Amino acid sequence: MVRRPPLARVSLAAVAATLALGPLALLAGAAGAAPGPFQTTRRDAGTPNSSQVTRNASGQIVSYGDKWITYRAPSSALTQLGQALYMENCASCHGTMADGVPAPGTVGAYPNLVGLGPATIDFWIVSGRMPAADPTAVQAPRRQPRLTPAQAEAIAAWINSILPSYPYIPDPHVKRANVATGMALFALNCAACHTIEGDGDALAYATFAPSLRHIPAYQVAEAIRTGPGNMPRFTGNLSDQQVDDIVAYVTKYIQHPENPGGFGLGQLGPVAEGFVALVIGVGLLALIAYWIGERA
Amino acid sequence: MSDVAGATTTKRARRQGAGRYGRLGQVVNELDDRLGVAKGGRTFLDKIFPDHWSFMLGEIALYSFLVLLVTGVFLTFYYIPSSALVTYHGPYLPLDGQRVTQAYASTVNLSFSVRAGLLMRQMHHWACDIFVGALVVHMARVFFTGAFRKPRELNWTIGVTLLTLAIANGFLGYSLPDDLVSGTGIRIAYSIMLSIPVVGTYLAFFVFGGNFPGTAIIPRFFILHVLIIPLVILGLVGAHLTLLVRQKHTQFPGPGREENNVVGSPMFPVFMAKTTGYLFAVSGVIALLGAFAQINPIWQFGPYDAARISYAVQPDWYMGFLDGALRIFPSWSFMGFGHTIPFEVTIPAVIFPGIVFGLAYAWPALERRVTGDHAIHHLLDRPSWRPKRTAAGVAVLALLSALFIASSTDVIANFFHLSLNTVLWAMRVIVILSPFVAYPITYKICKELQGVHGAGKRKTPNLVVRTDEGEYVAEPTPAYPEDVLDELEPTPVPTYIEQPEAESTAPGVRVVER
Repeated sequence: MVRRPPLARVSLAAVAATLALGPLALLAGAAGAAPGPFQTTRRDAGTPNSSQVTRNASGQIVSYGDKWITYRAPSSALTQLGQALYMENCASCHGTMADGVPAPGTVGAYPNLVGLGPATIDFWIVSGRMPAADPTAVQAPRRQPRLTPAQAEAIAAWINSILPSYPYIPDPHVKRANVATGMALFALNCAACHTIEGDGDALAYATFAPSLRHIPAYQVAEAIRTGPGNMPRFTGNLSDQQVDDIVAYVTKYIQHPENPGGFGLGQLGPVAEGFVALVIGVGLLALIAYWIGERA
Repeated sequence: MSDVAGATTTKRARRQGAGRYGRLGQVVNELDDRLGVAKGGRTFLDKIFPDHWSFMLGEIALYSFLVLLVTGVFLTFYYIPSSALVTYHGPYLPLDGQRVTQAYASTVNLSFSVRAGLLMRQMHHWACDIFVGALVVHMARVFFTGAFRKPRELNWTIGVTLLTLAIANGFLGYSLPDDLVSGTGIRIAYSIMLSIPVVGTYLAFFVFGGNFPGTAIIPRFFILHVLIIPLVILGLVGAHLTLLVRQKHTQFPGPGREENNVVGSPMFPVFMAKTTGYLFAVSGVIALLGAFAQINPIWQFGPYDAARISYAVQPDWYMGFLDGALRIFPSWSFMGFGHTIPFEVTIPAVIFPGIVFGLAYAWPALERRVTGDHAIHHLLDRPSWRPKRTAAGVAVLALLSALFIASSTDVIANFFHLSLNTVLWAMRVIVILSPFVAYPITYKICKELQGVHGAGKRKTPNLVVRTDEGEYVAEPTPAYPEDVLDELEPTPVPTYIEQPEAESTAPGVRVVER
């Protein structure tokens, strides 16, 4: 056995893995095209490789076409204001150049914000996660936002002026969307963490998938396109039409579930149902027995 | 001719001609002449039921099973047990156009497009949850009062079998809609079968007719759920009640209650009125829950597909302890000799429930052996009189409850903003500690209760009297007349039909020789 330096071994392994996984990925792509029970009758669902996609010089997807989602660049007129707001609210951790190099003596490591795209900056600020209440927390929770959407856009405009990047702030046209495709895609891509009812749940080591209730449509689209925190970033594998469908399903049916059967019991499923059956069902009937029976 | 016509035209004459018990009496007389129903009917109508409220817990199970049968028959009119793929078209838009199985499509259809379909489905599901719950509560009553002792061990065995079958049938029924959540449950059941050493693969392939999911499982589960297991349950319920009548009821000790008698109300009229009312109460509560509390909204879950998974899915409550055991068990497995034995599944999901139910089956024999008590018992224990048995029962219940809570580790972690891993480790510790904490505490409480004066006796109100000097004194009131034996000797049940006397028709307790 020839002893190689560690770096060479790693790169060899990477080459081997690429060779092995490349055809597999192609196969997986072919298998994905096979009709399955989750496919809908709609045939015109756009794919990311369709001619509508435009890419910039570095290969980043700029737009999937404006039919389903309009991506809006932050107004360049707000750049000055954005810089001032950034210095007040963000610079102490992310550094005065937004490059993740804070002032000396600051505890922790902070992400470089340059090149993340305005949608990322906007999402973290309008959802109240930034400025962070506890920079050492494993995951920033959604809170009452400290800055207004206009101020968030201004900060995004300033960071974007350092290095123009994508995606821009999305505006999904949910009225055109197909909620059936949205539900199928939600079950495939989102339910594994956010649960099929969209309540969110605890993941490993104090991370969690947040609840999807009370979130505006454009923020749902932002999260899908930018992948905040542990969430995967869905760019190449979901077309704008598919994102639009998911956003429509989330804002219409996850946030306003149809409960024709009565009280939804918090959409908590069998835990709440078992509680009701045992306490209200069996408990009430035992009380009735206690009422009509003798006690000694 | 005119004579006969004149005799039968007036109502009064006809009523008098029908005899003392009217038309009904005539019909019964005719039946008795041919079938001899009078003697058995007399025994039946004079069957004595003790009046204590805890004796009605089993009736919750009986009547919710009736509701299950009635609503279940309704559901079979619309449910299609098939895994064939169809395109759903219906009023629920997010499913419109999706390819789903016929089982799923028909369940959504019967929920949205069949009049009263959703009500029936929800009543069926609530009745099931209440049925199993009532079985457990009834079993706990029988256990803690020692009603399983000789001569009733066989009925205890039938009862444990009924509980097992009820849980199994509940799981099968829960799986039938073929929605995302229940499909995940079937997948877990398949993995549990696979984990059984040596025979697991063959067993799983035999049950599923091949690899998971296949198309055979829905029709197979259907016929098991609607025909075979209900028939067995029905037969066992019949045997349970026949044994109950044959061996007569147990009773709590009290004034006039001996090992050789049963004190209580006769079947007719007292118990019949009470139990019919209770039937309406049970079906009423189930109907109210079915109408106002939503259960298992499968349209929100979508159809099952092996590529899809939802986080935070739990089974129905009676399977929760299994889910909890699976969740918290460390990932141990044995690999060697060309085989993998996943102990992380085999131990919590096969061996552990085997031990729990085996213990339940064996308990009467175990207790006989430990206590050396082979006598026949018709008088019940108060739980505090048998501290060791009570403590053991509470310890097992504590263990199962802790496992049930462990089936929602993710919900707890999310609700209290804790790390999932912390909750997991905490539940491991709690599950192991719970029986060892519950046993001594229960034992001590029982011992303390034994020393309480008048425990188990009916409390009489105190009368607060203000004296002329302005002093307040609490004076105990006299005992209830029924609690004093001298004042009311239980009326013996007559062994032959006689002219009714005034006292035997009066309401009150009766006594019958064993």
